[in-house]
Amino acid sequence: MESDDAALLSRVARGDSGALTRLYQAHSGRLFGYLLRLAGDRMTAEEILQDTMLAVWRSASTYAGGSTVTTWLFGVARRQAYNRLRGTPPPSPSEPLDRADPAPGPDELAIAAAGGTPVASAIGELPDHHREVIGLVFVAGLPLAEVAAVLGVPLGTVKSRLHHARAAVARTLATQGVPE
Amino acid sequence: MNDMLVEYAAGSLGAADRARVEEHLAGCADCRADLAGWAVLAEAAGTAAAPPGPDLVRGALLRGALSEPEPVTRRPAWFSLSLALAEARLVRVSVLVASALVMALGVVMASMPPAYDGWAGDVLALVAPVVAAAGVAGVYGPRRDPAYEVVAATPTSPRLILLTRIALVFAYDLVLAFAATGVVAAAGADPSGVWELIAAWLGPMALLSALSLVLVVWVGPDVALGVAVVLWSLRVLAGGVLVDVGGVLDVVRAAWSTNPATGLLAAGLVAVAVVFAGRGEPLRRSRATHLS
Repeated sequence: MESDDAALLSRVARGDSGALTRLYQAHSGRLFGYLLRLAGDRMTAEEILQDTMLAVWRSASTYAGGSTVTTWLFGVARRQAYNRLRGTPPPSPSEPLDRADPAPGPDELAIAAAGGTPVASAIGELPDHHREVIGLVFVAGLPLAEVAAVLGVPLGTVKSRLHHARAAVARTLATQGVPE
Repeated sequence: MNDMLVEYAAGSLGAADRARVEEHLAGCADCRADLAGWAVLAEAAGTAAAPPGPDLVRGALLRGALSEPEPVTRRPAWFSLSLALAEARLVRVSVLVASALVMALGVVMASMPPAYDGWAGDVLALVAPVVAAAGVAGVYGPRRDPAYEVVAATPTSPRLILLTRIALVFAYDLVLAFAATGVVAAAGADPSGVWELIAAWLGPMALLSALSLVLVVWVGPDVALGVAVVLWSLRVLAGGVLVDVGGVLDVVRAAWSTNPATGLLAAGLVAVAVVFAGRGEPLRRSRATHLS
């Protein structure tokens, strides 16, 4: 699987667009899930995914085998996501939970439209770096060690972010009176 | 076991590890409760919609073919040369001609029968600095630069442009001054030799030009030229016509020589000017909104 990916990527580096499509089909589900969790709405996630494929097409030759192809792909996607989302400031972690306007925002509406639950909307309210870890661990299904490699942080940081995220979701649900 | 529970809930464990986790879970209520918490999170997070089809790749390839490849972040090796050539076209011919004429006048005066020892050196030390300072005063600012607004809109830093221009103008004035020194020395007007002659004007030329540069960037060309001319006049008067008040002329005379201090001071002033050059337009005088 991994050696297949590396072979595909080296064919992409030589300008084989069919290899790019196959690489996309192998990874699009996980990449899209991660980007959707990070961006919050489907259209932005699709745009970032396209940016990502273009960046892979142009920079496939820079892959040196220092990490797994999956880690490299998520790294590219993450960079593209931050390029595109840079204009939107991350939600402040200290934002009070009982906001003045209780109407659902665009994120919540998008999550609800995607068949969301109170837990999903609580995840949507997490700060960026927590949502990102959740996206990589639970949506993309990456092992924790690989998540640490993608984010460039120690394994312990990934674990603590996961626990903080879970605690924050539980707090949100408790204030809304929803049992976990 | 805690980390494996996360990966178990996320579905990213291998078959062997799954079996181990399940075996442990059967006998551990704490871990079952913990897993339930992760599972809720995994289920809620994992409700991702299906990704777009492979058409997206075609869209990305089309975009790649239509748009420029990644912007060139490294400048080509000949960038400095082409920048210098482009900037050379913006230097006014009248400035070059006037500089050459004044320098020629200086050569004629220096070659005349000397009034006293070191006459030729003194004449060059008066002519070369003021020529260079006047030239430098014309290199920057919205009023003197025909391409000021175009330059402001290009990605090339205004500091780099300023440095290129003063390098061009100063190099031209240096060549003129060296040529003048060569002519004066060849004419045998001064017995002290070429190096003495060069030392007479090099330091003052660098210092006065650097001072003029700071002022043109900070305030404007008129003030730069004015201050340069006033300092120059003080040096002329320091020749003995004026009575020294408060040691001003002594200071001017000391600065009017080639030594490490004048060199360092000139370099420092150029650095200040380059820093100022990135900070917008020179101070606006009242004339900015004049009605006429």
